[in-house]
Amino acid sequence: MTAIIEAERLSRTYGAVCAVDDVSFAVEEGSVCGLLGRNGAGKTTLLQLVTGQEFASAGEIRVFGERPLENAAVLGRTCLVKESQTYPDTFKGGHVLRAASWAYADWDEPYARRLVREFGVPLDRRMKKLSRGQRSAIGVIVGLASRAPLTLFDEPYAGLDAVARQLFYDLLLDDYAKNPRTVVMSTHLIDEASRLLDRVVVIDSGRVVIDAEAEDLRGSAVSVVGRASQVDAFVEGRSVLRRDWVGGIASATVDGISEADRAEALAAGLELAPVSLQELVVSRTRGDQAQEVSA
Amino acid sequence: MSATLAPAMPASRRILNGARIHAANPVATLVTPWLITLAIFGMNLAIWWIVTSVADEGSLEPDAFQYNGGAAWIVFYMMVAATIAMNQTFRFAVGLSATRRDYYLGTVLFFLAMAVLYSLGMTLLAAIERATDGWGVGGRFFSPFFLLEVPLWQVALAYAAAITFMAMLGAAVASVYVRWGSTGMLLFFGALGVVLIGAIYLVTRADAWGAVGRFFEGSSLVELSGWAVALAGVFALVGHLLLRRASIRS
Repeated sequence: MTAIIEAERLSRTYGAVCAVDDVSFAVEEGSVCGLLGRNGAGKTTLLQLVTGQEFASAGEIRVFGERPLENAAVLGRTCLVKESQTYPDTFKGGHVLRAASWAYADWDEPYARRLVREFGVPLDRRMKKLSRGQRSAIGVIVGLASRAPLTLFDEPYAGLDAVARQLFYDLLLDDYAKNPRTVVMSTHLIDEASRLLDRVVVIDSGRVVIDAEAEDLRGSAVSVVGRASQVDAFVEGRSVLRRDWVGGIASATVDGISEADRAEALAAGLELAPVSLQELVVSRTRGDQAQEVSA
Repeated sequence: MSATLAPAMPASRRILNGARIHAANPVATLVTPWLITLAIFGMNLAIWWIVTSVADEGSLEPDAFQYNGGAAWIVFYMMVAATIAMNQTFRFAVGLSATRRDYYLGTVLFFLAMAVLYSLGMTLLAAIERATDGWGVGGRFFSPFFLLEVPLWQVALAYAAAITFMAMLGAAVASVYVRWGSTGMLLFFGALGVVLIGAIYLVTRADAWGAVGRFFEGSSLVELSGWAVALAGVFALVGHLLLRRASIRS
């Protein structure tokens, strides 16, 4: 496996604000990587750095082994679909798809037409007049039909309804199986997208807080539930991501759990529950770690 | 590291993409300016006819309808059209994985093609105007006063040069806007105002207005066109230098 994206100590500052702060990560060829994080965490800036749309303040970014900035060889293999994309005022959906068909060497026109039918988006209406969901759908069509070896989706389905989102996941999986490519997708809807993801990178306030295989990550944390005293005894000295309690019953999300730890918890009479990817990300990216649930 | 990654498509196609993105929807750049020009011309023509119909025979000066600035509209509008075109498409083109360089090269080529196209159109209309003795009423809209006597190829050259000048100025202004936003525009025009006033002061101080006048009077239309194209080249270069470091703000 070779790395398609390699970031090394990458930073981007705007005045006093550090949108991307000393970020290092890598994305392997042929994987689907989820870029997760809260609003304003720096996801869009990071993706724009990857595609040479933004300028790094410090550090290195390599895509296909080269610097992406003003690099036609890299950018010609790369497609970034972003929610914040602006379109010329007079452009209709059809104009956008025509321009995209010129821009990408591997553009698949029959596939694009099929996607237009499946999403049911009108091509003869100005982009400005489309609903947010319809605009998102056009972006998704551009991303999929570009057949770019590296395709990046930034919040691709903001505004898409649940049916259209499911359609997007199905299409992406189906197409990915037939035409392997590298996909990076930033999203808020972590659990919904989690079955697609091979790798998860979570950023918070511009910093990478998680960078792991999705499989490892799912098994790495567990939620223990039981009497408060027992839970307290068990979590003592461990990495607790989050703790809730109602009366005498407590639950704690514990990170870095091994098989032996699980056995110990069960022996102590605690119940174990799996932690979803979303819970894990939420736990690791919020400041407060303990809270009382009002009964 | 490997510097062997081949471009996904040849440079010619990438630059063509930068040009044709402006024509993906050709209304703003290729249709609207002609419609407005023809509308202005139509109004002028109507006024000429009205004046001719009420004037007594022989009372009009023969050059009454020859001092007309209507055609200047299209020349100045090309600056606006260029600025709008770049401001509208830059983020979109870079969003579609174009390099700034390819986009800008294509854009400049598109503006040059526009200058040729509009120049040919205006010259064709000027030729008709001359052949019909000013649309039957001695009017001169497409080759007014200073273009009155010059051969048609010079009319074409003057239009092409003037439009190129304006379009490249528009490209430079658009680059300022794309790079620094409205604050940049305010500072740019503020600075431009200071420079112009400074230049006026210096020329006045040196008592050199006569020399400035003699330069324009003493230069032929062809020479002036050459100066316009040279300055356009400077504007185009400035636009490139500014756009090279423009990021995609959303």
